[in-house]
Amino acid sequence: MNPVPVLRLLGLASLGLFLAVAFSPLPNAATRLLREPARLNPADAIVVLGGNLLGGGTLDESSLRRAVHGILLRQRGLAPLLVFSGQTFPEGPTEATVRARLARDLGIPPETILPVAGAHTTREEAARVGAALRPRGIRRILLVTDSQHLMRAGRLFENVGFEVLGAPVDDLPSDASNPGERLQLARRAVGEALARLYYRIAGYL
Amino acid sequence: MTQILLVTLLGFTSAGAYLVGARHLGLSRRGLRAAAGKVIETLGTTVVFAGINLGLGLAIALGARTLTGTFVSTYLLADPAWLLLSLLQGLTFQWWRECR
Repeated sequence: MNPVPVLRLLGLASLGLFLAVAFSPLPNAATRLLREPARLNPADAIVVLGGNLLGGGTLDESSLRRAVHGILLRQRGLAPLLVFSGQTFPEGPTEATVRARLARDLGIPPETILPVAGAHTTREEAARVGAALRPRGIRRILLVTDSQHLMRAGRLFENVGFEVLGAPVDDLPSDASNPGERLQLARRAVGEALARLYYRIAGYL
Repeated sequence: MTQILLVTLLGFTSAGAYLVGARHLGLSRRGLRAAAGKVIETLGTTVVFAGINLGLGLAIALGARTLTGTFVSTYLLADPAWLLLSLLQGLTFQWWRECR
């Protein structure tokens, strides 16, 4: 069998897809379909989901942005408790403790900060935060993550018994106007769509 | 603005390359069409490698979690390096086919 026609078809399709993604508002529309809106109302706790912790205990941009958003919501008095989730590594500080330290340095009283470490996935975050907060009688939470992730994360936290108010924060504009931003938006949209599909198949959603 | 600049820049350099090729190197239009076809074919080969790499990567990450309990992050596949490496694989395989 001659693979050339198939390869050329694949190549044309991928080139067409690249041009459509990079030079049209298609990724913006896809992102809008996946986004959850903000519902910034008073709650029992603010829960900030993890991003990534780089070498040397440095928060990556997504993690830092979420942490700062959670801190600002706490400073606005929307909830009395600020919960940080995040990744744990065999050595060094956890993402949650690095964020907790940042919150203390920015003036949040330490007794109102709760780091919850040990989760590797959103589902694990929901389970661990649920185990930490339900005994305290906490039911309504402001959930801080990016707007595409919020739909899946919100469902998982609802599954463990919380009423979830979305508090999204993004490091990419939803109305991206240059090819680089659109490609990043598209990559995230595809990643989130695949994650939702996996969670549906696995029965987590 | 960035978009217009990018397209304009690429338009200029592509037109310049065509002029250099056609007028100074004696390259033909038919040769350009054939080259474009080979580029598309190489893209297709790259897509095949990228698909295999992505599928295998996901299978390994999810399989390791399920079978061994060891957490392997699927966000490793968000690193753009694997796309560039897939392009290298595609180029190498394509040239290998050409040199047969």
